[in-house]
Amino acid sequence: MLREDFAIQANIRRMLARTDIDASQMEFGTVKGVVYIQGTFRHSRFNPSWDSDKANQFAVNSLYLLEKKIRRIAGVSDVIFQLNNWKKEKGHWFQVEMTKEDETK
Amino acid sequence: MKPRGNLIYRQILDEIGKQVQIHPNYADLQNQFALILMVDGKMERAEIHFLEAIRLNPNYRDAILNLGFLYMETKRWKKAEEIFLSEAKRRPRDGFLHHVLGILYLQTGRQEEAAGRICKAMQSHSHYRDDYRKKGVWQRGAIRLDPKAESALKRIHSLPYAQFHNFIGLNLAKRGKFARAVKELKKAEGLNPDEFIFHANLGTVHYYQGAYSKAIQEFQKALEINPLYGMGYANLSYVYGLMGRSREALRCMIRAVRLNPRYADLRYNLALLYNDRKQYRKAVSELKKALRINPNYLFARINLGVLYEDQKRWKEAKREYRKILRITPDDEHVRKRLERIS
Repeated sequence: MLREDFAIQANIRRMLARTDIDASQMEFGTVKGVVYIQGTFRHSRFNPSWDSDKANQFAVNSLYLLEKKIRRIAGVSDVIFQLNNWKKEKGHWFQVEMTKEDETK
Repeated sequence: MKPRGNLIYRQILDEIGKQVQIHPNYADLQNQFALILMVDGKMERAEIHFLEAIRLNPNYRDAILNLGFLYMETKRWKKAEEIFLSEAKRRPRDGFLHHVLGILYLQTGRQEEAAGRICKAMQSHSHYRDDYRKKGVWQRGAIRLDPKAESALKRIHSLPYAQFHNFIGLNLAKRGKFARAVKELKKAEGLNPDEFIFHANLGTVHYYQGAYSKAIQEFQKALEINPLYGMGYANLSYVYGLMGRSREALRCMIRAVRLNPRYADLRYNLALLYNDRKQYRKAVSELKKALRINPNYLFARINLGVLYEDQKRWKEAKREYRKILRITPDDEHVRKRLERIS
């Protein structure tokens, strides 16, 4: 752990509150500057008139933006996403089906 | 202040109305919706939703008090009195309830009973003495209920309006409209300065805004009113952490953990702070306690593995890393750490 780990945590908490992401379904931890994000990624608000393609694109953009914002925090060296419903492979985000166990969490 | 005159209030009213239709069994939503309807002057509909909130959760204090205020607003004094007397019996030291009963008795011409309640309110908190002095009710060590003082007191029906501004403020903060949220929360605080949660909410919004000194002030006010508010200490700790004041951050997080010993996340954060101050044994102990509360708390396990590794306790470090890889086999960072020490 680096000296900044606690400050990184406090910064992420603050940053998440300033986004449209439903932070109540996510957990985050910091280990020597490496940030872990777990849980379910959801927006707290989105336009109900959007079709699923548009909603997905919005989610993908939000995930890229979230990663960018976290990396900008002083002391952060890497971000690892371990989400139930989205996965990043070769730089691209894909939606994945949640298991029944994840859905009931 | 009426919602119909304000676009944001109107939007929030519509949104909550839709949510109430989707989730009719959420007492919190019923109370929020009723509150906005009441401030909008729709008293009959508001009463229905307050009653529904109380039916869903008979101990829901906010909804009970809001219903009491609705009865006062609609001059149903007997019903209002029943509610506030019953609450005052449950919480005899709550000055606000005596204050409200004092106003209720003034409204119904029962001056002697009003004076008794005003005395009790003053005994509970100095704020009431100052307030009564300003309004001319408390003069030279005695209660004076002359017509001028009475009329100043009767105007105060603050609680539902304070709750309303608090609710709107929180809603605006969720939308990222922090400056407006602060204005609403300040209105709530001004109407009922004794309510710790209004100060805490204002502190949280200042923290999100990056106004750290103001955040500290508000959290401290909340903790003066309610010293058992553990999350207030945790939030203070985060703010001090962001300001680089790690000693104060640690002191506050220790208090937060003492008040919420079963909250694994607080223990995890306390471990980070101990580690920052190179108190490794205490850090390990807190991480272990966090894992006893929640054995699947992955970050705590990773931090524990890294701490063992730093102390060259290879066997323990490997054990923790292996446990993590059993849960998340794709974690390359942990895999590399395990390979390096194997």
